[in-house]
Amino acid sequence: MKTSELAGYLGAESLNTEWTDRDIKGVYTTDLLSDAMANAVDNGILVTIQAHKNTVAVATLKDLAAIVVCNNRPIPDDMMEAAKEEQIALFLTKESQFVVSGKLYQAFKA
Amino acid sequence: MIIRADLHIHSCLSPCGDLSMSPRAIAGTLASRGVNLAALTDHNSALNCPAFDVACREAGIAALFGIEAQTREECHMLCLFAEPETALKLGEELYAVMPPVPNNPGKMGDQVYVDENEDILGEVEKYLVTSADIGIDELADRVHELGGIAVPAHADRPAFSLVSQLGFIPEGNWDALELVRLPLSEPAARELDTRGYPLITSSDAHYIEHLARRPFDLDIADAPLLRADGRVDMETIRAALARRPR
Repeated sequence: MKTSELAGYLGAESLNTEWTDRDIKGVYTTDLLSDAMANAVDNGILVTIQAHKNTVAVATLKDLAAIVVCNNRPIPDDMMEAAKEEQIALFLTKESQFVVSGKLYQAFKA
Repeated sequence: MIIRADLHIHSCLSPCGDLSMSPRAIAGTLASRGVNLAALTDHNSALNCPAFDVACREAGIAALFGIEAQTREECHMLCLFAEPETALKLGEELYAVMPPVPNNPGKMGDQVYVDENEDILGEVEKYLVTSADIGIDELADRVHELGGIAVPAHADRPAFSLVSQLGFIPEGNWDALELVRLPLSEPAARELDTRGYPLITSSDAHYIEHLARRPFDLDIADAPLLRADGRVDMETIRAALARRPR
């Protein structure tokens, strides 16, 4: 699956366009950024409710393709700004991490 | 005596801190903005504290030497000490239990420590804004064991705070709580239970222009600010914090 297919597949809202389309290598779900730093998949997706600019910093560090923010958490302007600058795709969905992870598991299980 | 304090400041050692934030520049700016008591609190490291010590002495500022530690819960805690050596000791302990994630200066920012003349002494290898494998209670106990003061940082902020990570302010061995602003605005003023801890605010400055924003006044009455050896008297600070509004 490519980054550009995520919004359609998840029924999520795509929040920005400043990113390069990539092949997604995997998915990790967590709300602890240190856990994401340790275990997120390079070129993968982070599924989380942590809607703040530090999440983008971790995504940058781990070279993530996308962040999927769940539960319709409000996205602060500085997070949008950081995602734009770092070219990280940002998606927002009303669904929970459980539901989003379940859907992505279907697509990415080996 | 009322002293003006800023107890949460980042230097060029923090990856998110501006390179112009040398301990010397920080101390000079604080002095010009009327701050009498300041703490250097870089993320998970105290390596700029020795330079801060010299710079504050020259600028006539009473200095505390600190770390903004990040715990297992991803809460930030200000750990403040009277001596740079104690802060360095805690820094070593934290570094040993931090994950081996290397810093990427190009992406995350530089992590340089300097001497009092702003000459670079070295760079920290591990990325500093990560969680040390220690819980909030364990950390507060360790800080007190070392003679320090423990203050959960920006406890009401939507990231890296007690409220963001735990959902509430738990009871703990805190000498005060740092809030982003005082008085609290609605709905936090109505909804956030700060459990009667003394409340403070700080600049959390990462840039020169932010130094000494949101300082707070500490009434130390007639207690000595400094010990005989010129270090800050922690008993005085502890007692004065206990008299802060709650």
